[in-house]
Amino acid sequence: MYALSIRQLNVWYDKQHVLKDITVDVPRRQITAIIGPSGCGKSTLLKSLNRLLDLNERVRVSGQVLFEGQNIYDPGTDVTDVRTRIGLLAQKPFPLPMSIFDNVAYGPRIHGLGNGHLAQIVTAQLQAVGLWEEVKDRLKAPATGLSGGQQQRLCLARTLAVAPEVLLCDESTASLDPISARGIEALLRGLREKYTLVLVTHDIEQARRLADHVVFMWLGELVEHGPAGPFFAQPEQKLTQAYLAREIG
Amino acid sequence: MKRTQLRKVKDRFFTWLMRFFLVTAAALLGLILLGIAWRGVGALSWEMVSQSPQGGFYLGKGGGILNAIVGSLYLALGATTLASLIAIPVVLYMHVYARGGRLANNVRLTLDIMWGIPSIVYGAFGFSLMIFLGLRASLLAGIIALALVVLPILARTFDEIVSMAPRHLRETALALGTTRLEFLGVLLRQTAPGLLTAILLAFGRGIGDAASVLFTAGYTDNMPESLLRPVASLPLAVFFQLSTPFPEVQARAYASALVLTILVLAISLLAHFSMTRLGRHVIR
Ligand SMILES: Nc1ncnc2c1ncn2[C@@H]1O[C@H](COP(=O)(O)OP(=O)(O)OP(=O)(O)O)[C@@H](O)[C@H]1O
Ligand SMILES: [Mg+2]
Repeated sequence: MYALSIRQLNVWYDKQHVLKDITVDVPRRQITAIIGPSGCGKSTLLKSLNRLLDLNERVRVSGQVLFEGQNIYDPGTDVTDVRTRIGLLAQKPFPLPMSIFDNVAYGPRIHGLGNGHLAQIVTAQLQAVGLWEEVKDRLKAPATGLSGGQQQRLCLARTLAVAPEVLLCDESTASLDPISARGIEALLRGLREKYTLVLVTHDIEQARRLADHVVFMWLGELVEHGPAGPFFAQPEQKLTQAYLAREIG
Repeated sequence: MKRTQLRKVKDRFFTWLMRFFLVTAAALLGLILLGIAWRGVGALSWEMVSQSPQGGFYLGKGGGILNAIVGSLYLALGATTLASLIAIPVVLYMHVYARGGRLANNVRLTLDIMWGIPSIVYGAFGFSLMIFLGLRASLLAGIIALALVVLPILARTFDEIVSMAPRHLRETALALGTTRLEFLGVLLRQTAPGLLTAILLAFGRGIGDAASVLFTAGYTDNMPESLLRPVASLPLAVFFQLSTPFPEVQARAYASALVLTILVLAISLLAHFSMTRLGRHVIR
């Protein structure tokens, strides 16, 4: 039922307490949207889910994140494995310094997937994100030559090529033009059949369009969460009501 | 009204001042190149670059400086290779494993101090080491002393280049489930053109250094034979020929300097062109 279960998660940057006692479950094969105003800890929560927070030396974490029943913060955890199974699509598209083909092939290569049929994997993923027709004649060209929207689709293909179970997206459409953003949105909606998605957005409308499940954060605390229908129709907390009505935030 | 005019005058004045110094710097380079070419080109001949010194070379008789050209190339090549073997892992370790830590900062400080030490000190150090070990001046000793000179240049330049790699590179690679070693590979791809620049900078600096090889590599009129025998070098060839009282030998000194300069220029151009190819995929 739940792909991820977050239990009493606390995060500090140095002395600053940025996530306070977060407890929430992420349903499998659905889209969970994390919403809230800038600086409330959405990205921090997202990055705590695949231990990307570890890259920051000043960060301290307490509590648990259970992924398929296993706490990923257990000392014996294989962090590389966690990050392989829980992929991330960042806010800004960021290609690796290699060709279009190699960007998508990179993950499968290091994980030893698709020996011998690497080209098929790359083709399939590029088709899945609707980029194939645009790039099939220049697979060897640098990925930096693509437009922003194309790059973000490439990054999505690259993440999916690793065959993750969960996909985390941190405002992945925020830096794109409206048309490209809609394209990515449509892709994400289509992915919910195969993947568990967690997306951060501060665009309430986007959350309405995409989310099955919503988590509302405020100053590092989880205010309210639940299925999207009731959440948007009848939010329980005053704070949520005010935020959805755009009176605060 | 008056104020805006004054600001415009100021702007123009400083623009021209900067242009003036720009031209001065360029002119200085041009002057040096021209001066060397002017005095050296007359003595430059096929014989100069294709033969070793014959008997009486330093009195104005036949022969050339091939021994010094080849010797210098060996010395600089050996030293940059040795320095790269040390510098590249050190820098990558600093950025991937010891990021932002005390260790990285201490290494940086050490390298900066090493950079400041005059090369004659490395030469003297190498010389005393040789005496201690009972060795003679040799290509190997020269390479080691010269490697100490170029190591900080190479390492710190590469260090700065790796520092300029986008912050997101790390997050992006690690989010795909790479190990740190695999991330290191990505980092190397991103910084390859810069690394090449650092290596060639070190090479250019190394090939022109006289003080470190003076005692350690020695000098010989023979072509380099083995790692354990002395070798000639271009800077010392210039020095020895320039210190003779004979004008024709002095002219050859300028020709030797010209050869040295052309070598360095050729390397810079090579770097420039290979960089555009290597830099195709770099994220800016
Ligand atoms: N690397 C960091 N070092 C120190 N403090 C940080 C760091 N990253 C975030 N913070 C702080 O943690 C808090 C939460 O930041 P976070 O990035 O998670 O917010 P967010 O909800 O994603 O905001 P936004 O919508 O602007 O992206 C903020 O107060 C921020 O200043
Ligand atoms: Mg954020």
